[in-house]
Amino acid sequence: MSIALELARVDYALLGLSANNCMKLLPHSPLKGVQKIVFGGSDGVLQVFSIKKGEMQVTFKTLPGEPITCLELGGVTGGVKDRIFVSSKNEVRGYNKKGKQFLGFDTNLTEPIKSMHVSGSDLLVTGSHVFNHYKDCKDVNSYLSSDAINHVISLNFEKTHRLTAVLACCDRVLRVLERGTLAQTIPLPSVPVALGWLNNNGGSSGDNVVYALQNGQIGLVQITRTTYVWKWVIENPKNRDAVRCMYWYDLLKDGNKELIVGRDDGSIQVYSEPLERLKDTDPLIEIYNYVCNESVTSIQAGNLGNPAFDEIIATTYTGWLFGLTTEVLEKQVSLDTIRNVGVSIKFSPEEKMKIDRLRAEIEDIERTVVKMRERYQMTTQEDSIGISTIPELSISDKLTLLKEDSIFQLTIEAETAIDNVLLHSDVAIKLIDVEKNSAVVSHSACDPQSDNKLLATYRCQVNTSKLNILMQYGREAGTLNVYTTPHAQPKATHLRSYQIRQLAFHTRTHDFDETRPCNILSLKGGFSFAEMHYWISHCLPEIPEKMPTTDEAVYNFESTFIGSILQCKYRKGEAEFKSDDVSSISVLKDFLTKEATMKKIQLSIAFVLSDESMYSTLERLYPKLEKAMQLQKQTRLLEALKDIEMGENETGVTFIPECRTVVEKQNEIQAYMNKQWLNISRIQDVVTTLFIDWYRFKNINARTKLGNLREALQQNCSFQELFDFFDTSALAGSVEA
Amino acid sequence: MAVPLYTIFLKHRILPGRVTIGKYDGSHSCITAATSGDRVLIHSPHLKEREVSMLNVNQGVTAICAGKLNPTDDKEVLLIGTQSTVLAYHVENNTDLFYKEVSDGANVIVIGKVGTSTTPLAIVGGNCSIQGFDWQGNDPYWTVTGDNVRALALLDTDRDGQNELVVGSDDFDVRIFKEDALVHETSETEAITALVALKDNKFAYSLANGTIGVYDRMSRAWRVKSKNAPVCLAAFDIDGDGIPELVTGWSNGKVDARNIKTGDVVFHDILSHGIAGIVVGDYTMSGKPQLIVCSTHGEIRGYDTTSTVKDTVQHGDIVRELFAKKQALLAELKNYTADPTGTGIPANTRLLTDIQVSPGSKLFPGGHVIVQLNVNNMTVIRSATVFAEGIFQGETYVVHPRIDQVSDSLSIPLKPPKDTPLDIHIRAFVGTTASKTQFHVFEVTRQLPRFSMYDNASPSHKQIPDSFVTFKMNEPPSRLEQWQGQNFLVSPAAEREGSSRAAWILNLVSVRDKSPLLLKLEGSVMTVATPHMSVAADVIQSLANFFNLSSLQSLAEFPAIFSSLKDQLSKIEELQQNSAKITATIADTANLIRGLIVQAEDSRLLMVMKDLRECYSQLQQVNSELMRSYALRNANHNEILTTLRNINNIIQHAARLRVGREKNEIAQQCRLAVANNNVNALIKIIKTGEV
Repeated sequence: MSIALELARVDYALLGLSANNCMKLLPHSPLKGVQKIVFGGSDGVLQVFSIKKGEMQVTFKTLPGEPITCLELGGVTGGVKDRIFVSSKNEVRGYNKKGKQFLGFDTNLTEPIKSMHVSGSDLLVTGSHVFNHYKDCKDVNSYLSSDAINHVISLNFEKTHRLTAVLACCDRVLRVLERGTLAQTIPLPSVPVALGWLNNNGGSSGDNVVYALQNGQIGLVQITRTTYVWKWVIENPKNRDAVRCMYWYDLLKDGNKELIVGRDDGSIQVYSEPLERLKDTDPLIEIYNYVCNESVTSIQAGNLGNPAFDEIIATTYTGWLFGLTTEVLEKQVSLDTIRNVGVSIKFSPEEKMKIDRLRAEIEDIERTVVKMRERYQMTTQEDSIGISTIPELSISDKLTLLKEDSIFQLTIEAETAIDNVLLHSDVAIKLIDVEKNSAVVSHSACDPQSDNKLLATYRCQVNTSKLNILMQYGREAGTLNVYTTPHAQPKATHLRSYQIRQLAFHTRTHDFDETRPCNILSLKGGFSFAEMHYWISHCLPEIPEKMPTTDEAVYNFESTFIGSILQCKYRKGEAEFKSDDVSSISVLKDFLTKEATMKKIQLSIAFVLSDESMYSTLERLYPKLEKAMQLQKQTRLLEALKDIEMGENETGVTFIPECRTVVEKQNEIQAYMNKQWLNISRIQDVVTTLFIDWYRFKNINARTKLGNLREALQQNCSFQELFDFFDTSALAGSVEA
Repeated sequence: MAVPLYTIFLKHRILPGRVTIGKYDGSHSCITAATSGDRVLIHSPHLKEREVSMLNVNQGVTAICAGKLNPTDDKEVLLIGTQSTVLAYHVENNTDLFYKEVSDGANVIVIGKVGTSTTPLAIVGGNCSIQGFDWQGNDPYWTVTGDNVRALALLDTDRDGQNELVVGSDDFDVRIFKEDALVHETSETEAITALVALKDNKFAYSLANGTIGVYDRMSRAWRVKSKNAPVCLAAFDIDGDGIPELVTGWSNGKVDARNIKTGDVVFHDILSHGIAGIVVGDYTMSGKPQLIVCSTHGEIRGYDTTSTVKDTVQHGDIVRELFAKKQALLAELKNYTADPTGTGIPANTRLLTDIQVSPGSKLFPGGHVIVQLNVNNMTVIRSATVFAEGIFQGETYVVHPRIDQVSDSLSIPLKPPKDTPLDIHIRAFVGTTASKTQFHVFEVTRQLPRFSMYDNASPSHKQIPDSFVTFKMNEPPSRLEQWQGQNFLVSPAAEREGSSRAAWILNLVSVRDKSPLLLKLEGSVMTVATPHMSVAADVIQSLANFFNLSSLQSLAEFPAIFSSLKDQLSKIEELQQNSAKITATIADTANLIRGLIVQAEDSRLLMVMKDLRECYSQLQQVNSELMRSYALRNANHNEILTTLRNINNIIQHAARLRVGREKNEIAQQCRLAVANNNVNALIKIIKTGEV
């Protein structure tokens, strides 16, 4: 695609916090060229406004109340969608574009509304697990999902003439509901976080749904009455964050709509149809990328600032409303004359006015702040009896596993600039430097008596409201405490805690490879279903909060680091775990016996060990080990070779092929070595742990062999040599026993 | 972002911090840099045939500098420093001007005029010592300083029209020498890695912890800290306002130029590899110099005033800035509108701090200063962070007790490693209970006095050290108490036994190593008794500063140090002999190896495999022998360095036992004594301050 988009950023306003997708553009009204914006904030205010000469002109504004969680546009079937529906808590309200409320509907749901979809007179809402369908405000049907629901959408009723709901669920599936019953389950490679219609209308057949996944991928699936058809998938080679919002708009004016997406990492992309579409599976092509420093919460496109120019409109986490316009702004500033639109716009004075107005506004606020500050100072005097409370700061934070590198990413985003962050943990955590993160990190010494294993501070540079931290940790269980202190006075710090699970490097999968040889651990005892569920959820990630509705739960996992698999199957009084990795089984066994002992529950434990499983695990591990060993050797070689290379021209030294490859691939080797988390010691640790666990299960004391193994791992041991450690010593040990 | 004027790729690695530029033929600038393989690269763009020429140094290049050393010759000279030598090389004539052994090594070299000297000197900073050579190789300049010298700059700091020498060293100190006399010293928070002279008597510095800053005369104008390490500094006027900016090259490939008054960034660019050096020179023959940046991978970019992109849309940034300000204000406003649902702390909660010195307790072993935090009501302190530089590994120390040990008080043990005054910033998290998810943040700043690690000696422990300094002092005891109040944590009133109006005594013990420190004023004779010469020197300098003494002569008696000085000097002799012996052995072995290789090659050509094998097995043997000798030589050399540093340090402390003129003469005289190997003279100088 040769057409490159050139867009310029225009900042319009600071709107405040909002939930995702709570900013929408109202359809064009027939008379005016520009569109109005509807925005529902976390303060409960719903407002409609337009931008005139860079200034907000409010049409209407409601009073503050409960935070608005969803905002949808609706209208009669086939008509203009200009009716505004908002949800807060468990209530849905409807307004027309003039601000008149025509609907106030209490769903009586026990869960607050998390996602909503409006189609004609049908209203679909979901809480965290419950889905409800209302027609003309009457309850038609409902569905209880076994895992949390992230997003709901229906297929386009106008085209398909059937009301089919699609739920994006945390257990990595799309659930397709027809009249409240589960019609199809569509498995996905990662957790779906957002859904949308192809071309804003579901495509020509109205049943094409775009899904955005946690791992940053975007895909298209067609959901027909009986089955589903995979269309394209946009991969995520640059490891961007998940898409939170999407919109289709013809920015290129070529008759095809482009997909515009906004992501958690603050990037906005425009994807367009490939030049020649040969197959349905050909992915869209990225034609534009913009990065702002905060996560994008809503994205739209249309005409806002100027009727003659299309623009992308986005809101960010801290509440910025900005446009990326096709208008060429630089020229306006320098020329300062008549634009080719035919309308005389003197740009600079207008900008000046805007700036002056903003300054005046800030002065106003400043004055109030000074007054309030004085009043606060008064209350802190010795004899005062007041209580100083500080409102809870809105912090969006998450700890995610980056599968490819098997490291964790902690993201903290606050509504105002962050001053500093303190990390504390009772397990050893290695913090990894990220180039993008400009904060000054400092590790503090830990007092061994306080059980602290990590104390680190991040001092942020000015105007940082988002911080990314990469970290790596081992097989310990514990907590990570994050104290975030924003700049705002009076200063307060906000604590977020994360559980660190022992088997954190596992991720849920749909299938379990039954052909792999596995070790089996079975437990029987007087535990309840709920107890076991609770225990498992403290050991493995991605376990639903709620109990499964069935009598028996089955969860499959895959380790991101060594690729081993694990199946947990449990019911009341009985549990079975299958894995080709003995270490995972060992962790589960230790953890569950400890938990059961604490609750004084008797467990009978049985396990079946499979020698083949050890072979296959080692087989899977060895290439990684081999590669790491090779790289280590190459890095050592490289240092020396670099020196010789310098003199090559003069002395005519020629390298043997191995050395030549090392010199040729030096950049690659260097880049790999810079990824400190992939270093060899990590793989060596995995092998050693495996060794210890294996012999522990075999009930053989192999401590003497352990030293030899460590030594062998330091040198370049072959696969057979490595395997022998797990094999011959077993024989030797058993003979002794 | 900036647009470079030109980009050149040299296919050579460049060692960071070792880049210079010189006009070796008197008119054309040539970038000169140390590369791996112990070589120096000279890039001469005006020579079409051989743009790049290499010099083999055969020893790791530690410093490099080009400049006009011979005042009668307009061709510049290249100086190359290694661990033990300095070479002055005339590039154009391909001759050595001089080649000198410098036992202290050459960590950094600058060329320029110092003080009243009329000819330029090449000033070489080494291991605690600074030496200045003229173009004939004489060294008329010599002085000692605290630690390894890392950075040097020549500029007029006090506007007297003469250059002073600014020295940055590994012991965090910036020292200013007028001629060879130390006129000012100031402590930074980390090892100084670079210094550069700016306009208007200012100079800039960079530290190993990522800080860069500017000093205006002797007070710091500003500083900033980044997580990356600054590699090199330069002064260049990139925005064309007539005042050169401070240009910094960072380890991550970033280059930025900052206004020297405010520290605001006016220009920045990013190269794909770490910066190795920044020089200013004319590479386009345009008559005006450019800013030339070299990366470690041999990329060279040149910039001038046209490189900055001036006509960017300014108003967009202004609007964004204003919005951000509004956002911050709104957030503060929101914080004042009390949230009725939250449970806060009483508004009159106070954080009380108390600083004391402790010889060590069960909880915190080892002597330390303890900062005790308390709240005045039922609230608790969840955690406290101390910000201070130079006393911890990083910049913070966090105390985060177990949740069941959280109470209304918190103790923070600190161990300042040096006797310098310290600002500590404490940030405490205070809440109603330990299990809250929100805490109020209390911020307080306290100052630790210079001698905070000294406690009152217990009466039973009152031993009089046999090492002491005495000097005349005409100040009343009350004034000394004042001085004590400012510089010690132990209060003056605590130790008043037997002291009359005329006498004043302070009996202390260092909590670092339990060594005694006795300060006594009898009549007008002041005695400072301590086994450590450095402590005595610190006390004297602090007193001189407080009472504004312009000169002070003292009598020093440090028997232990004097005897160790004797040992050290004889040890040096021995070590230097060893070194010569080992070098001879290595040369022999190397010859043997050469012979064996030729022999082996002959055998191979003659197809006598048996001989060949034998040759190679011998080779292996000789080679391992060679390796051993190298290891020995290495160890020997390191020992020489430490011994030399010890001697230099003693001389420096001896100088600091005096003030003013008396102080300045000592270094020179000590050096003479060392050069003549006259131990007794040396000790006499240290004792009395005179020959």
